[in-house]
Amino acid sequence: MPRIFSLLLLSALSAFTVQCFGQDKLPVGIVTSLTGPMAPPGKFQMNGFNLAAEEINGAGGIALGGRKYSIELKVYDTRANPAEGASALQRLATVDKVAVVLGELHSGVAAAEAPVAQDYSLPLILTVPTGPNLTEQGNRFLFRVNASNDQLNLALADFIGKQGWTPLSFIAWNNDAGRGGVNGMKKLLGEAKSGYVGYFNVGDVDFSSHISNIRASNARAVMLFMDEEPGSLAIKQIRDAGLKAQLIGTLAMGSDRFLKRLDAARLEGMVQYNAFPPNANTPRIRAFSERYKKKFGEEAHGFAAQSYDGLMMAAAAMQKAGTASDGKKLRDALASMEHEGVIGRIKFDDKGQAHPPVYVTQWCANGSRRILYPENLKADCGAG
Amino acid sequence: MTRGLITAAVIAALYLAPMVASPYLLHVLVLSCLYAIPAVGLNLMLGYTGLVSLGHIAFAGIGAYTAAYLMVDVKVGYWAALAIATLAAGGAGAVIGSICLRFRSHFFMIVTLAFGLMLFSVMNNWDDVTRGAAGFPGIPRPAGFAPLESFYRLALSAALLAFAVQWGVVRSRFGLILVALRQDERLAEAKGVNAALYKTAVFALGSALAGAGGVLLVSFLRVAAPGSFTLAESINAVLIVIVGGAGSLAGPALGALLFVGLPEYLRVAAEWRLVIFGLLLVLITLFAPEGLAALLGRLAKRRRR
Amino acid sequence: MAQALLEQVINGLMTGSIYVLVALGMVLIYGVMHVLNFAHGVLFMVGGYLCHFFFTRLTGSYPLALVLSMAALALIGVAIERSVFRPLQGNLRNQVIASLGLILVIENLVIALWGPNALQLRTAATERLVAIGELRFPMQHVMIIALTAIVVAAMFGFLKWSKFGTALRATSQDRSAAMVVGIPVERVDMASFALGTALAALGGALVGPLFLVFPQMGDAPMVKGLAGILLGGMGSVPGAVIGGLIIGVAESVSTLFLPTDYRDSIAFAIMVAILLVRPRGLFGLRVRGEA
Repeated sequence: MPRIFSLLLLSALSAFTVQCFGQDKLPVGIVTSLTGPMAPPGKFQMNGFNLAAEEINGAGGIALGGRKYSIELKVYDTRANPAEGASALQRLATVDKVAVVLGELHSGVAAAEAPVAQDYSLPLILTVPTGPNLTEQGNRFLFRVNASNDQLNLALADFIGKQGWTPLSFIAWNNDAGRGGVNGMKKLLGEAKSGYVGYFNVGDVDFSSHISNIRASNARAVMLFMDEEPGSLAIKQIRDAGLKAQLIGTLAMGSDRFLKRLDAARLEGMVQYNAFPPNANTPRIRAFSERYKKKFGEEAHGFAAQSYDGLMMAAAAMQKAGTASDGKKLRDALASMEHEGVIGRIKFDDKGQAHPPVYVTQWCANGSRRILYPENLKADCGAG
Repeated sequence: MTRGLITAAVIAALYLAPMVASPYLLHVLVLSCLYAIPAVGLNLMLGYTGLVSLGHIAFAGIGAYTAAYLMVDVKVGYWAALAIATLAAGGAGAVIGSICLRFRSHFFMIVTLAFGLMLFSVMNNWDDVTRGAAGFPGIPRPAGFAPLESFYRLALSAALLAFAVQWGVVRSRFGLILVALRQDERLAEAKGVNAALYKTAVFALGSALAGAGGVLLVSFLRVAAPGSFTLAESINAVLIVIVGGAGSLAGPALGALLFVGLPEYLRVAAEWRLVIFGLLLVLITLFAPEGLAALLGRLAKRRRR
Repeated sequence: MAQALLEQVINGLMTGSIYVLVALGMVLIYGVMHVLNFAHGVLFMVGGYLCHFFFTRLTGSYPLALVLSMAALALIGVAIERSVFRPLQGNLRNQVIASLGLILVIENLVIALWGPNALQLRTAATERLVAIGELRFPMQHVMIIALTAIVVAAMFGFLKWSKFGTALRATSQDRSAAMVVGIPVERVDMASFALGTALAALGGALVGPLFLVFPQMGDAPMVKGLAGILLGGMGSVPGAVIGGLIIGVAESVSTLFLPTDYRDSIAFAIMVAILLVRPRGLFGLRVRGEA
C-alpha cells in the first residue's frame, strides 16, 4: 500500500513541473490567499500582479547590468495563517532568492512576514493589509502602497461628518479589516455619533438580526466593512427589509462587477471610499482600466490597482538601484523614489507608508459613478 | 540498548543540523518542533486517555497571549513570562476541562470544540488586551536565541523536554491509570480510581504543554495572531496525533513532521495540495489507522525477518 | 421593545431553519449508523453547486435542478458510505479523521473546479416582501421557514408511517434486534446515508438562490447544526429540529443585548449550559449499553 502512495504522489507532482526556456528570469515573490474564504479578494490582487508582470515583460523586461530580465512571479498561498506566511517568506528569501516580495491580504499574516523579510534584508511591499500597527514596528524593509485603516477612516469620517450622516451604524467582518475599520471610525467620530455595530464572520450570509437592530436604532447611515460578495447580500437584504438609511461602503463596492450582483435601483446614492475610480478622466487611470478590462473581461478592483502599482514601483526601483540582489540598495531606492501609480502618487514616508489619495465615490441612478471627494478631484456621473 | 543508541545518535545529529541544513529546512524543523509540543500534550489526552479534544490549540493561544501581554505590556522577562503562561494555560485547562469532562465521546468532542471557538472569539475580539484580529506584533525572541540557528536549538530542546515529560508520564503509575481509564473506565473506577481527577489532571497537563508550545510559536513568529489558534489548527493537532500514531511515544514527532513538512513540500502544487492532503488522510485512516509510528514499526519488523 | 424581540425571533427562526436543514441529514445518519459525519456541511455546499450547475447548464427549471442535485448527492452519499464509513464502523476516532479528510478533498476540489468566487442562482420567486403586522420581511425569510417545516413534516411522516422509515427507526434503536427480525441493516445503512446526503443537497439547493453559492457556505451551518443536534439530543429527530431553532433564535435575540462579535459564542454557551443541566440533550434518551 505505501508504494502506491508514493507512486500517486510522484505522478501528481510531476504533473506540475514546468520547463522554463528563454530569457533570463528574475524571480519576484508574491504572498496571497489562493484558497480559503479570502480567495476572491486574493484573485483580484493576483490579477493586478499578473497584469503588471505581463506589461513589464512585454516591454522587454527589466534592464540590469546590460542584460534584460523577465519577471517571474513566485506565488505562495498563505491561507490567512501567520505560520504559513513566515514559512513562505523564509522560502522566498533563502530558496527562491527573490528580489522583492509583494502582496498579502491579512494584517496578522503580514505581521509574521515582516520580521522574516527584515532578517534577510528583503524588501516586502504590502498592497492590501490595512492594520495601522504594521508600519509602527520600525522595520525598514517593510513598505505599504495602500492606505492604512487610519488613513481611510480619516477621509471618510471627514466626509460623513460634513454630510451629517450620524449616528452611523456598522455591519462589519469580524476580522482585521472589519474590526480595524470600525474601531478607527468610532474613534474619529466619537461615541455620540457612532451607533450599533453588527459583526459577522467571514462566510456568514444572513444579516437579518443586524438589520432589525439598525432599523430600531433609527440610524441615519449604515457603513459596510466587507468585500463585494457579502456586501451584495447585505445591501439586498437591507433594501428588501425596507431600511432606507444612507449606505456607505468600502472600495470593494465601487465596481461594475458589484453592480451586476445587484442593480442600480438598490445602489443609488450609496457612497464608498475608493482607491481609484476606474473611469476618472486621468489618462493614466483610463489606460489601466482599459487594459484590465481587455485582459480580465471585467472592471478593475481597487486591490488589483494597488497591486499593479506595487509591482510597477518595485520594477522601477530595481532599475533605479541597478540591482535585484542587493536588498539594502533596493530598499533605499524604494524609500527615496516617487512613483506615479494608477492609484495616485506613491511616496513612502519614513515609516514605509505611502499616502495615496482616498476617493469617495457615489453610485448614480443610471449605474455610473461620480466622485465626491477630494474636493479638487470632484467629477460627475460617468467619470467615477 | 541499540534503540537507545539510535535515539541518541539522531538527537545529536539534530543538534548539529544547522551546520549543514539550509535556513529553509531549519525553519520547517523549528515549526515541526513547535507543533509537536502541543501534539505531545494532546497525545497524552487522546492517545493514552482516549479524550478527543477538538479545542486543544485554544490553550496554546491562552499561553501565547498571556506571555505576549506579560512581555510587551507588563515588561516581564521572557523566561518568567513563559513559566507564568504555561501555568495559566494549565490552569485554564483544569477549569475548562472539568466542565468538558462531564460529557463523554461525541458530546465531549463537541463541547471542547465549543470552548475552542469561544476562546478564539475572545482572542479575536478583546482588542484592548490581545490587540484583536490584526494580531499582537513585537513579541521578542529570548535574548541570545534570536538568530534562526540558535532558536532552532531552543525549539529542539523544548520539544525534547516535552517528549521527556511524555515518556516520564507514560512510564509512571499515572500513565498506567490513564491507559486503564481509556480501556475500561468502569473497571478502573471499581478498583478505586478517581476517574474525574485523573482525567482533569491530564487535561490540565496537556493544556499546559499546549500553552508552552504556543508561547514558543509566537515568539518564533514575533506576532501573536488569532489566525494561529483557529478551529482548523485544533483539528490539525488531532490529525497530527492520530496520523503520527496515537498512544505511541514517537507519534507526535512523526505527525508534526508530516503535517508541517508535507504542505511545504507540496507548495508547488498550489490549489491541489489540499486535495492531495485530504486524500492522504482518508487513505491513512482506511489502510494505516494506527498511524505512521505503527506503520514504520511494522516495516522495520518485516525487514528484520 | 416587544416588537424588536418578535422581529429577532422571526429572524432566528429563519437562520435556525437553515441549521435544521443541515442537522436533519446528520441526525438521520447518526441515529442509524452512529457515525458523526463532519463532512455533511461540504455535502450541503456541493448540493448548492450541483443545483446551480444543473440549473444553468442543463435545465432552466429550478425544481428539476433541485431534484437532480438531490439524486446526485444521494449517489455520492452511497459511495462515501461504502468506501469510507462502512469499513470504519465502530471506530469513532477514525470516522472523525476520515470525514475531516473528506472535507479537505471536497471543499478544495470545488474551489479547483469552480474557482473561489461566489455564484449567484437567481430565480424569480425570491424577490418580494411579506408583511406581518407592522413588520416587513423579505419573501425569502418566510420561504425558508415554510420549506423547512414541509421537509420536517415529510421526514416525520416517512419515519412514522412508511415501512422503510420504521425499519430505519428500528435499526437506530437496537441494531442487533433489527437484524434478528430480518431487517437488512446494511441496506438500511446505505439508504440512511443516501437520504441524509440528499437532505443536505436539498438544504444547499434551497439556500443557494436566497443567498449565494460559495465553497464555505456549509461550514458555519454544519457547526451550528451540530450544536443543535447535541442540544436536542443526538439521534433524536425532533431534538435536532428544536435544537437547531433554539440556536438560531438565541443568536438573533442575543444581538439585542450583547456585543455582536460574540454572537456565535452565545449559541455555544447556551448549548453547554443546557447540556450541563440535561447531559443527554433535551430529548436524548439513554441507550442500553452506554455509560
